[in-house]
Amino acid sequence: MIDYGRVQKELVDCEKNKDASGVRVSPKSDNLTRLTGTIPGPIGTPYEGGTFQIDITIPEDYPFEPPKMQFSTKVWHPNISSQSGAICLDILKDQWSPALTLKTALVSIQALLSAPEPKDPQDAVVAEQYIKNYQVFVSTARYWTETFAKNSSLAEKVRKLVEMGFGEAQVRSAIESSGGDENVALEKLCSG
Amino acid sequence: MSDRILCKFFVHGSCLKGEICEYSHDSKNPVNNVCTFYQKGICLYGSRCRYHHVTTTPASNLPPSPPLTSDSESESTNLQQQDNNDIEKSSNVYCIHPREYPICSFAAAGDCPRGNHCPHMHGDLCTTCGKKCLHPFRPEEREEHTKECEKKQKHIEALKQSQDIECSVCLDRILSKPTPGERKFGLLTECDHPFCIQCIRNWRSSAPVSGMDVNSTLRACPICRKLSYFVVPSVVWYSSPDEKKEIIDIYKAKLRSIDCKHFNFGNGNCPFGASCFYKHAYSDGHLEEVVLRHLGSQEGETVIADNLRLSEFLGGLQIF
Repeated sequence: MIDYGRVQKELVDCEKNKDASGVRVSPKSDNLTRLTGTIPGPIGTPYEGGTFQIDITIPEDYPFEPPKMQFSTKVWHPNISSQSGAICLDILKDQWSPALTLKTALVSIQALLSAPEPKDPQDAVVAEQYIKNYQVFVSTARYWTETFAKNSSLAEKVRKLVEMGFGEAQVRSAIESSGGDENVALEKLCSG
Repeated sequence: MSDRILCKFFVHGSCLKGEICEYSHDSKNPVNNVCTFYQKGICLYGSRCRYHHVTTTPASNLPPSPPLTSDSESESTNLQQQDNNDIEKSSNVYCIHPREYPICSFAAAGDCPRGNHCPHMHGDLCTTCGKKCLHPFRPEEREEHTKECEKKQKHIEALKQSQDIECSVCLDRILSKPTPGERKFGLLTECDHPFCIQCIRNWRSSAPVSGMDVNSTLRACPICRKLSYFVVPSVVWYSSPDEKKEIIDIYKAKLRSIDCKHFNFGNGNCPFGASCFYKHAYSDGHLEEVVLRHLGSQEGETVIADNLRLSEFLGGLQIF
């Protein structure tokens, strides 16, 4: 049985301190089992300036079981799968404690972004690159941040796609139907 | 006839003995209408008493009172003696020591609306609970009440202080939970972080995930991760280590009076052995004697041996 009272309190608490921490949590649906967390990329890292979205699923036994968290924004990081967005972090697994909250977990993920742990990787390719070719890693991570984690305005998205040679009306409807995601919109335009 | 005392009942027009009354029915005779209870210190009728409330008898039939010393304590003992003399002298008269009277129940419950006009005796004010419930003539009862009252007051104060404490797991105020069973703290022995009993027990009994070290996670405090082997339920939170120790000691003493279901009066086997909190007594009432067997292990450390059975050795033997 999920303790909805606690989830609700956590949401209120997060909303109160959102300016101080930059971490936000908002419900996806109305039953509070699926939430979306948002964290800003830490300053001084390749993730600076990006806004990262994390899918949160509250398990049945929460808070006695850790919440399931997964990046929905693509990230280039040794401890985060570049394919699925799965996160390798001890407090989301065996080191979970019921005194931790969604907010503290998200802050920990933010800390993970600034301090990668390549010796305990989630994504072996990224970890190898991090160890062997750090400069390439940094530029890749920065490029991914620029491409996937930056919210450009609708006009800019339209401009980009129009520059690629698609018609403006076509581009607008594609962006609209893909929920504002320009990559999905591009795929649609290419396939359609 | 004239040396006789006027009949009290005759004065009120209600003497049933009439002619054969041993007291005088002549209204010219002096009236002895003095309240003997008032003279002894207390008359329960107060201002409604039919008899005169004077301290000295007009006829002055009483022997002169013994000289009083300035010491108030000896004064009271003198009075006491006088009382006893009176009782002895007038043993055929219906007389009760004031300590036998109950105090006014209204005053004892708070305050009596009749105030000074109340026919019943009012107790002295208890400064702790603010009720007039201390019986003036029963010192042992006063003491008991004062003790009890202070204990209650302490409990109420502790409850007040505990009121705002939140459980770090459910984030609720523990004493504001909906059901009384939930309004309990779960104390961890090794640290001072508050949880509600339900939450901390739930956490400690949740199934360990693979790769999880039970001692560093489930049995540890969710906040500071300090290992505590047991949780103590309590209705109040403590404010000093001594209070915490008292709560734990009371809890342990309570458990020690309950028979261990694993031990089952000697018929079972308790996995906790000598460190079990519950009572290990046989059905005839005598307690289990604990004999620990210390064995030197291979690493040179001393370990405490479990119960060994001969059958375990014999079962491993191979006979050729």
